[in-house]
Amino acid sequence: MKTTVSRRTFIKGGLAGTVVATVLPEKKSQAATFEGYPDGMGVLVDLTRCVGCRSCEAACNEEQKLPQPDKPFDDFSVFDEIHHGQKRRTDETRYTVVNRYDVPGLDHPLFRKIQCNHCQEPACLTSCFVNAYTKTPEGAVIYNPNVCVGCRTCMIACPFNIPTFKYSSAFNPRIMKCIFCYDTRLKEGRPPACVEACPQEALTFGKRNKLLEIGRQRIRETPDKYEDHIYGEHEVGGTAWMYLSSVPFDQVGFDTHVPKEPILNYVKDFLGIVPMVLTVWPALFAGFHLLATRKDWLKNKNEDTHEEE
Amino acid sequence: MRFFSHQRPELPIVDHVKPDGSQWTLKEKLWLGLSGSDYFKQFFRNPVNWLMIGIFAVGIPLLFQRYIYGLSAVTHASNDYPWGLFLGFGLFGMVPLSASGFMLGTTVELFGRKDFHPIERLALLNGLLGYFFAVIFLEIDLGMWWRLYYPMIVSLGPAAVLFLVAWHVATYLSVQVAEVLPALFEWIGWLKGKRIIRSMTLGLTIAGIILSTLHQGALGALFTYAPAKVHPLWLSANFQWIHFFCSSIFAGLSMVIVSSTLIRNFAGWRCDDEFKNSLDDITIKLGKGCSLAMITYLVIKVVAIAHDQEWAYLLTGWGSYYLLELGVGVVLPMFMFAIGVRNNRASLVRFAAVIAVLGIVWNRLNTSLVCFNWQLYQEIPHWKEVWITITIYSLYFLTYRFIVYRLPIVYSWKGEK
Amino acid sequence: MRTRKKMLQATLAIAIGGILLWPEPGRTMEAADAPETVEINSLARLYSGVDFNHAMHTEIASCVQCHHHTTGGEVTDPNCIRCHAKSGEADTVSCKECHSSDRFSKDDLSKRDNPALYHIDKPGLKGAYHLNCVTCHQKTGGPTGCQDCHTMTEAGEKMFQTGQHAPSETTGGEHSGH
Repeated sequence: MKTTVSRRTFIKGGLAGTVVATVLPEKKSQAATFEGYPDGMGVLVDLTRCVGCRSCEAACNEEQKLPQPDKPFDDFSVFDEIHHGQKRRTDETRYTVVNRYDVPGLDHPLFRKIQCNHCQEPACLTSCFVNAYTKTPEGAVIYNPNVCVGCRTCMIACPFNIPTFKYSSAFNPRIMKCIFCYDTRLKEGRPPACVEACPQEALTFGKRNKLLEIGRQRIRETPDKYEDHIYGEHEVGGTAWMYLSSVPFDQVGFDTHVPKEPILNYVKDFLGIVPMVLTVWPALFAGFHLLATRKDWLKNKNEDTHEEE
Repeated sequence: MRFFSHQRPELPIVDHVKPDGSQWTLKEKLWLGLSGSDYFKQFFRNPVNWLMIGIFAVGIPLLFQRYIYGLSAVTHASNDYPWGLFLGFGLFGMVPLSASGFMLGTTVELFGRKDFHPIERLALLNGLLGYFFAVIFLEIDLGMWWRLYYPMIVSLGPAAVLFLVAWHVATYLSVQVAEVLPALFEWIGWLKGKRIIRSMTLGLTIAGIILSTLHQGALGALFTYAPAKVHPLWLSANFQWIHFFCSSIFAGLSMVIVSSTLIRNFAGWRCDDEFKNSLDDITIKLGKGCSLAMITYLVIKVVAIAHDQEWAYLLTGWGSYYLLELGVGVVLPMFMFAIGVRNNRASLVRFAAVIAVLGIVWNRLNTSLVCFNWQLYQEIPHWKEVWITITIYSLYFLTYRFIVYRLPIVYSWKGEK
Repeated sequence: MRTRKKMLQATLAIAIGGILLWPEPGRTMEAADAPETVEINSLARLYSGVDFNHAMHTEIASCVQCHHHTTGGEVTDPNCIRCHAKSGEADTVSCKECHSSDRFSKDDLSKRDNPALYHIDKPGLKGAYHLNCVTCHQKTGGPTGCQDCHTMTEAGEKMFQTGQHAPSETTGGEHSGH
């Protein structure tokens, strides 16, 4: 009898230990050495090439079967739309948007396409408490609507304000966001619909490492044409979609104050104290309790001994 | 409560048996020992209840609208401000105000300060209801509210801060239910249940303090996911969790002071002499705790600014707003607490507690709404969102009052216990 | 896949190669030897093809501006001079011979993985056309609107949801994210 009990306890303890050992520390040890998938794909967006034709928006809408837009995709009045003082952004009807920027001192406007940048260490993914996001080896950050609870922390965490929520649905809401055409194209090694649609090859698709080479080559060979910076090379720990620009990035709507390290690094301070509190607090406060109630305990003990006598 | 007169000395109910020796039935206990018509007469005589009826008359249809037509029907459906009032007030505001449970649980049960005993149950109830209604607010805000349990069973993301919040709030809610259950067991007369819970008190209390430290802190740490969005003065990657944890200490204590004041003034019939006579003394002791927590909080706030080299921000408009928040919401009540404690003036402490409660809600709204996306634009919530928030808070108030009127929270059960 | 690609290549050869019959190779080509017009339509799908007035363009631009070093003219771009200062006339000057029409295909990308390759950034055929034409038109005041050069086809109107596929006033309002 005794052996059975102790064996069962042993197995229980062992199981719990294994679960803890396999589930918890694994992520951390991987994270310490993980530098992104080596063959992850990306896109290099060259602002000097974009002419604002909105072909990418149209192609995205078609590929992702998004709802009909308010205005046709060849209507360029959308560039003048302003909401809350902001240019157009992604929402539940569009995964990508092109905006026009009139830069002082430049005789022609510049256009910037926004979409998910598919970070190397995505903030949406690390902030999600139901693991709805996955960074695939191909480089895409994809989303699983079947486990999402709609807390929208990913939208809080995304430094580029990309994920949007289908607020209009009461029974089937979900996060709406660019997935690099993962299901229909990227998985098979094909470029996303927007890249294929771009007439100007303002969007260059390829392995992220290769794109960095291409970007540096463009800057090196035509230094007058480009800012000496590839936006996304280091921003928030690196992104799969990167940008080249002819003017300082903050003049064309980029947030140049985003950190140069993964968003997760800002959260690690707190995550680090969790095991400490979990292990030290019980002993600490049980100790406080014993100290604080010591007098009562001594009194009780004395009374007991008196009674015994 | 004018129905409790000299003609009915057995009311309010404090025992299982009536003066004539027969047992109060559960139904009679629920109706406060009044007849149905008397109960409704006193109910409709109270102007607060009319206010509640007015709020619900609009709020309930709005809730239906939210659940039938989606969040966009009652909010601005903003993608720039994914969290609105439901979480900004309902979660980030309600949870620190509910820190009272673990604070007084720890004081009485762990540190053996029996002098706080008369208010312990009120503090535990205040904690339980605050958390429970924070979850209700969450259920209004969650897109797929029917999947609330997903992070527990279906799909686990243990490396996320929200995972901690979810697990800890859920576990702590159970701990608090257990801590408040003895009052219910006394009231319905199931003494075995009470004994079982009593035997677990120490464990529950320690669990409470662990879980509270972590999730109060975790609520702050949630904003460290947005280092480029929240105004630097309201966000410190290193100290955010300490800010939130430390401020929850005086927030919870202040809320108990406010709540006990309201109960003493407007439901005096329900309080027993022990509660009434010790309340001033306890209030002043709690005020002392508040002022100590506040000075600690202020120091860490300054340390955070120094650490992140943010002095320059203090000279901007946002800096003035920040100083206003700290000045009115923390420094002012801190001095009022201190003066009240020194001069033994409970009324000043009570006034300070009201300001501190509003101050902490202000701070949480600033962090989650006003100063979030400070570089973009300020989001002003839809009136329907405001109304629903008030509706849920009114429901919280009614539930709170319902329980305090009945269970032995601010009085001791005279019968067998 | 393979047969489809071959068919595509064959079609391309017929469409473009047919009109690019060059005289006996000399050191430098003469603009006068070039065709009057070039029909650029191998990629036409959303927009109809372009009847490119080659003769007119030879009057306002030198060959190297579009054909780089391939016509054997004097190369001026400092980046190209490094290798092509004396590379002379190429075997072909047709765009599609160098600029791949299946840019970003697996094949195309893997070819560019060759570490010895310098031209890792050579645009595809569609990119080459547009970058060449539009960039110059922007500088010289030529037409730059999409339909200035080629009209939108039925397929194009469908994708751009314009013309007969334009959103009607009543159905286009499914916007809520303001």
